[in-house]
Parts: sequence; structure tokens; C-alpha cells
Amino acid sequence: MKTTHLHAPSWGNQEKAAARLAEMLVVPGWILLVAVFALPLLGAGYLSLRNEMLGGFTVPRFIGLENYLTAFADPRFWESIWVTLVIMVLGLVIQLPLGLGLALLLERPIRGITAIRTALIIPMLLTPVAVGLMWRFMFDTDLGVINWFIKHVFLDAPNWLGSRWPAVFAVTIVDSWQSIPFVMLIALAGLAGLPKGPQEAAAIDGADSWRIFWHVTLPSLAPVLLVIMMIRVIDAFKLFDIIFIVTQRGGPGTATQTLGMLTYNTGFIFFQTSRAAALGILLVVLVSPIYYLWRRAQRSDA
Amino acid sequence: MALNAPAEPEAHTEDKMKLKGKLIAAVLMATAYTTPAWADVNLYLIPSPSSTAIQSFIPAFTEKTGIKVNVTEVPYGEAHQKLLLAVQLKQGQYDVAQYDNTFLAPFGAAGTMSPLDDYIKASVDYDIADFEAGQQDYGKYKGVTYGLTLSTEPMIQWYRKDIYEKLGLKPAATWDEYKANAMKIKDAKMGDGAMFGWGANASWWWMTLVWSYGGKLYDENYVPQVNSAEAVEATQFFKDMMAYGPEGGISATGDDVTNKFFAQDIGAIVQYSGYWGVALDPANNAFVGKLGTAPMPKGKAEITHLAGWNIGIPSDSGNKDEAWKFLDFVLGKSNSVAYLKAGAAAIGRKSISTNEELLKLHPYLPLLNIPASSRIERYPQIRTWPEVEKAILDAMPAMLNGEVDIKTGLGKLNETLKPILAQEKAG
Repeated sequence: MKTTHLHAPSWGNQEKAAARLAEMLVVPGWILLVAVFALPLLGAGYLSLRNEMLGGFTVPRFIGLENYLTAFADPRFWESIWVTLVIMVLGLVIQLPLGLGLALLLERPIRGITAIRTALIIPMLLTPVAVGLMWRFMFDTDLGVINWFIKHVFLDAPNWLGSRWPAVFAVTIVDSWQSIPFVMLIALAGLAGLPKGPQEAAAIDGADSWRIFWHVTLPSLAPVLLVIMMIRVIDAFKLFDIIFIVTQRGGPGTATQTLGMLTYNTGFIFFQTSRAAALGILLVVLVSPIYYLWRRAQRSDA
Repeated sequence: MALNAPAEPEAHTEDKMKLKGKLIAAVLMATAYTTPAWADVNLYLIPSPSSTAIQSFIPAFTEKTGIKVNVTEVPYGEAHQKLLLAVQLKQGQYDVAQYDNTFLAPFGAAGTMSPLDDYIKASVDYDIADFEAGQQDYGKYKGVTYGLTLSTEPMIQWYRKDIYEKLGLKPAATWDEYKANAMKIKDAKMGDGAMFGWGANASWWWMTLVWSYGGKLYDENYVPQVNSAEAVEATQFFKDMMAYGPEGGISATGDDVTNKFFAQDIGAIVQYSGYWGVALDPANNAFVGKLGTAPMPKGKAEITHLAGWNIGIPSDSGNKDEAWKFLDFVLGKSNSVAYLKAGAAAIGRKSISTNEELLKLHPYLPLLNIPASSRIERYPQIRTWPEVEKAILDAMPAMLNGEVDIKTGLGKLNETLKPILAQEKAG
């Protein structure tokens, strides 16, 4: 005797149908991802193996890895990597402790904390170009407020945008001013998620605030700090708009010309499209291990 | 019912025909509405006093010719790259395009702009003879005119009349006098003596000095010559003058030089005449009425560094004749006074340089008639110029800051330029 349940789909079939539906639903996302990420990347890879120029002065042809070899032989390429690393390290040294410090301060129940938090995240909300212009005026040696203040206090003020190291510090200061709120917010979220038990236990055992922070809070917060570090490292590789405005495309000379800036200059100032594409691919290659480490850290954390 | 039966399809057919007719009419109307685009002239302009002046002529042009004019303004930083891309796509997006004279060679080599020589020859109003002989070539690349002169901007000497009068100084005729004047102003504590832009546009002044000291950037075979004795002497002068300029001069861009000159006490600057429009506005200039102009000081060679805008017709334009009509109308001789009155940077037409009314506002106009004795030097008309200029700008700070001595720095720059200029030679 046949029963009606024979016509009803089995659980296995239902799961398969649901899985198929889920696959169908993510298809638009994949198409978008392929269109805006994979295709341009493949296009850049293809372009990097040719000798295309924006002005089309030469007949474009396949030249293999010549653009990559040109980049490796160009001292500007290695200098731009060095500059990128210096700005990245200086940024991390400034942004991590200050961001974490602010997060620790703002975690406490202080009166008017909401207003303070809001005020502190304002730099993060501003357009980098506007921020760059504002700081460029402030750094002006003759008319800027920064040197006006320094001269009143210390008498001797640096020429911020006129020589190598002051310019590197100027870029780092502007980048940090905009990025510290981000570090602070993520650290604050990390702190809020930590169980209070271990800290209270340490306090009962007689540990002072510094010891509690150093031996209990900081190790618990390490995965969050690692994520912040990875994001900031990737951001440092991408740093462009602030340098474009504050030091006028990486000046003085090549003092603040990061790899991203060199790629821009090569493509849009020299019109060397294929050489710029090769630099762009190298930038992706340099950033990829950081992403891999980040993913690995996330997996081990899970 | 039976009688009516055959009538129904007839009515239906009639309705269908009416509908078809309406559809065709709609399509024709839509086509009629959209196709006149061929007669529109689409301008591609870069925000500047010249661009503003051009736009002020649009209503009068449309009234005269019935041709509609549309405007797209693109900031300088991306304008040339975007135009190159647009023309390469051959969509005929723009019919008239403004560009910096520094891009004449790259545009000429890439076939971005249309030749204008036949139009100029046929025009009654443009009158190329109204320009000094040396300036008639301003829009030419390899003998073909790809752009009309949209502004004539030689580097001239700007000085503070009040400071010069108090100290009994005269505008410098030579670079030595320029330095001596600067020294006197500094010693008298009346402000900074003089200023160049030693920052992101240092190449403007550095190459002017190299030419003026008798040097050149490269020879006829594109072999760099920036380590010559003349270039070393010019660079040394460029560096020495920093002592008489404002402290922030080392990072001053081209615009900064003008802005600082208008905001603080600086005896003199050497700057493109095209900035004069900014000087007229008290909102920008604290010293309106106190500024004088004079020819650029002379060095061993008598040269005039000439820069400015060009304007032409992109090679993919579908409306070249209409585009020329517009250019001829705005930049022809008949409208040259009105064009300058509309706020544009001056065009060096001989016919306007003695106009009394204009001279009251633009006292530098006679300086645009560059004497035949002065060799005109333009931004190098080579397609690799952007890369050459960047190499110069990259090398300059170390020499100006004293990290590298000038001879060594220029020797290194010469080596850097060799492979770049070799590309130029290779074509």
C-alpha cells in the first residue's frame, strides 16, 4: 500500500534544494565580485605584460616580464617600498598605543563619555582630501599655526614639508590623527567583549592596575590588536590621498613617495600604463601575505 | 452580429495603423529631438580664469549661430589623462578642449588633437599675424598647429613698488641685480628679499635659470646636459637665493609663491604673468595697487620662458567645423578685448597691448610682446617631459638642502635622465 509521504521530499532533498537556492542567491554577489575585482585584476595582469602607454606612442605588444624587471632595476621602486615601510612602522608605533590608551580611558564610566567618544571619532569621519588640505596649511612654515606655536615655545621649528624626515613625520601625524579613532573604536569593542572575571580575580589577589593591564587585559586583547595591526598595515600600503595633498604627490623629491604614489605617478603622470599595472600587481603581491597571516590568525583564534 | 463581424478586424486594423503611425511619429520626434546633438559643441574645460571667460561668450555665440554649447569642467590634476582616454575611445565626446602647453607634445605625438592650420588660414577674424612671430608657433608640435593660444604667460618680474621706492631700488635687469635688491631688502628688515618656488614646482624656475645662464636640458640627440657648467652655476644661484626668501620657500609650490607674495612682505618674485588676474582681487591680495611688473632679469642668454594654455579640437570630434566656429568667435581678434575684460589671462595679441583701458588693469600687457632679441623657451616639447620633470623635482631637494653638492646632484640627475630621454629618441 502506497502512502502519501512517498510524494513528500525527503530531508536530504530539502537540504539539497535549500543549498541550491542559497547558491543561486549568492550568484549576483559573485558576479559583482568578479566584475569589480577579479576582472580588473586580470586586466591589470595582462596590461603589465605589454608595453601600453596612455598616449599610445608605441604600437602595443607583449613584452613578457620586462615591466617587472624594469621595476626591480629602478631605485625609485625600492625607495618607495622603504618609504611605505617607514610610514607604516611609524604609524603603528604612534597609533596602537594611543588608540589603545584612549580606549582604556573611555571604557571607564566618566561623566559625558558619549560626547567625548563622539568628539574623538570626528577625524575618522572627515574626507582625507579635506584633512590633507587643512594640515597642509597648518604645516606651512611661514603662515602655519603649528610652527607659529612651536616657535613661541621652542624657538626652533622644522620645515615640515621642505625636507625628508619632517615630511615623513608630517604624513605620519596626519595619518595618525585620522586613524587613531579607528584603533580606539575597535579596541574599545574588544575591551567591552572581554570577561571581567579574570581582571576582578587579579584585583582580589592584590595586583595593581598596571599588572592587571599587562598580564590580563593585554594578552586577552591580543587577537583584536592583531586584527587592528593587519588592517593598519594594509591601509599603510594603500595610503594615497593624504600624501597626494599634504606633500604634493610624495615630495619633497621622493621623500614620501610610497609604492601606491609611485604607481599613480607612473600611470597618470608619466602615462606609462603597463609599467604602472606591473607596480600595482607587485603591490597586491606584497599585501597578500599580510591578508594570509590575518586569515590564519583568525582561524587559530577560532 | 454577423454583419458587424467583418467590420471588427477593419477597425482593429485601422487602430493598429493609427498606433503604428503614432509610434513612428514618436520615434521620429525622439530622433529629431536627440539627433541635433551633432550640431552641439561640447567644451572640455579646466577651471581657470580663461575657462570662466570662455563660458561667458556662450550665450552670444548661441544667439549668433543657433549652435548649442555644453560645458564639462575637469580639474587640472586629471584633465589631461581623462582627455587622452576619451579620445582613445573615439566616442567624439568633446569638440573643443583646453589643455596645458606642457601636454602639447604628448597630445601631438598621440594624435589627440586635430590640426588647425587650414582653419587658421581660412579664418578672416583669427589673424595669426596679430601675434609676434615667435608666438605664432605656440600651439605647434613638429610644425603642425594642434592648439590655439588661450593664454600667453611669460615669466616676468613682479615687485613691490612701495618697498622698492622706500629703498630707492629699480626692478632688476640682471640676475645679479635681482640678488643685490633682495639683499638690500633683507638687510633693511623690510621683509624677504625675493622668492622662487623651491618646492613641488621648482622645475619652473630651475629650467628658466638654466636657459638664462646659457645652459640647456638636453641636446639635439636627446642627450641630457643638466650637469654642464652653466647648469651648475644656475642651480647654485637658485640655491643661494633661498637665503633671501621666506623660510617656507623650500616647500612652496607655484601657487604658494603667488599667495605668499600677496600675503607677506616679499620684495620681488619671478612668476608667470597669468597670475595677474588673482592680483586684482583685494580678497586675494593684500597689496593691490602696490605691485609693479618688469621683464624677467637677464642672464648670459636673453630668453623668455613662455607658458600658458592651449585650446584645440580633439581628433575624434564629430563637429569640427562647429567647434572651429566657436573658437574663432571667442578667440578671434574682434573679441580679444572683451575676452580679457571677461577675466581671462591675457593673450599676447599685438593689437591689445596698447589698449589704454586694458593697460589700467593689466599694466604688464606690453611685456607679452616678446622682443625678437629674446629667445622663447617653452616647456620642452617632448612626450617624456612629465617623467623628465619628475626626475628633476626628485633630485632638487637634496641639492637645495645641502645633502648633496650641486655638481654631484646634477651629475646624478644627468644619469637618471639618460634612459628617460633615450625613450624619446627611440620614438
